[in-house]
Amino acid sequence: MPEDANKTLLHMKVNGISVEIPVRPTWTLLRVLREELRLTGTKKGCEQGDCGACTVIMNGKAVNACLVLALQAESQEIVTIEGLGTEDNPHPLQKSFVEEGAVQCGFCTPGILMSAAVLLKKNPSPSLEEIKKAISGNLCRCTGYSKIIKAIQSASKYGDVQKSLRVDTYWATSNAAERRD
Amino acid sequence: MQNFEFYSAKSIEDCLDYLSEKKELCKVIAGGTDLIPVLRNEDIYPDYVLNILGIESLRGITEEDGEIRIGPTTTFTEMVESEVLNRTLPLLVQAASCVGGPQIRNRGTIGGNIATASPSADVLPAVLILGGVLEIRSRQSGSRLLPLADAIDAPYSIRLRPDEIITGICIEKLPPGTRSGFEKLGRRKAMARARMNMSIVVRTNEEGIISELRIVPGAVMPVARRMEEAEGILSGKRPDSSLMDAAAEALADQILRVTGVRWSTEYKMPVVENIFKRVLGQLLWNNKRGKE
Repeated sequence: MPEDANKTLLHMKVNGISVEIPVRPTWTLLRVLREELRLTGTKKGCEQGDCGACTVIMNGKAVNACLVLALQAESQEIVTIEGLGTEDNPHPLQKSFVEEGAVQCGFCTPGILMSAAVLLKKNPSPSLEEIKKAISGNLCRCTGYSKIIKAIQSASKYGDVQKSLRVDTYWATSNAAERRD
Repeated sequence: MQNFEFYSAKSIEDCLDYLSEKKELCKVIAGGTDLIPVLRNEDIYPDYVLNILGIESLRGITEEDGEIRIGPTTTFTEMVESEVLNRTLPLLVQAASCVGGPQIRNRGTIGGNIATASPSADVLPAVLILGGVLEIRSRQSGSRLLPLADAIDAPYSIRLRPDEIITGICIEKLPPGTRSGFEKLGRRKAMARARMNMSIVVRTNEEGIISELRIVPGAVMPVARRMEEAEGILSGKRPDSSLMDAAAEALADQILRVTGVRWSTEYKMPVVENIFKRVLGQLLWNNKRGKE
């Protein structure tokens, strides 16, 4: 059987850019992001939805990319850590994490940044409890979380936490779909 | 993951056609938070996977004539944020807010929680105690209604034929003055499977006598169910600390008769008694000691 016989064309928007990519039905969104699109900022951790290292934003909501079949992302809008900010133009959260020393080994950092970005987009000055809840699906084995929480609290010192690069491009569409009842 | 053919249904009709053709060779996927890990472990290997997230009419919460209807692909986050549910069935909101973490709640669905029928499910026992009824459809037999209490028969098993799908979860509003509570115990606050959860619905009349009491502990038995013995001890009575103790003991006894003595019994029995007294005490006397 030729290699591509079992592939279907997936269309989605990743960090504001429309992509078309042949995928196998068994592939997860995580695999497509990392192996096909080479967006390796999103990390592969437990692969069962426990650790949150693979957190990306899908239609404005944080999801575990390891628990989404790639073909379920058809026509959806994805933002990965690469879309949150760049080296030249980092998201205020990214500046804050560096300044506050919230990064140790760094493996959980992209996932936590995505969870925190969703929180701050909705609520630019969250309480301690709201921050803890927002990152409760992300494990960090180095920091003990206190510096991470501090960095999220301080993010607004480093810029407008609600305005950032590509996060804006998907937000307009996602808010409409947010509350359905 | 073993290979399968993936199909996204465009409508309920499309979905029913597909299921009636593929039957047991097919697995339905919604949020995938339960299904994808078992596919990855190759615990199951369906030939076909049918995605129903694209069917708009299977999603959302509506309120009509005292009844709440929840589409099966409504996510836990949507339940938690629902104005209708917060106003009418706060117990469901509490249960949904305890599932996994934010990422899981953003994907996981009420229909998936019920269809997976895990003994440690959080939302399933809440739907059960509220007398939820499943609206089920298939190409062959049209639609039927099945109370959730009759639908669950064994762990990870629900009385649905392979060609059937849940199209709605219907729950009647509680009578005025009814109070409800839910509490979950996990090994950690978030992301934990329930070690135990407790749903209670209670109503007292003007004289302080319990006119209705429903108790459903979760994750302590193979299949969640109402606990009639404990309910019977308090129903029709004015609750006090000693009746509460007696009901808690009856609750633990009935569970023990279902499960037999297991390695976890020594831990679970006193805890189930305490969590019961705590949730009911909160509802009756606004304190967590379960004492008047």
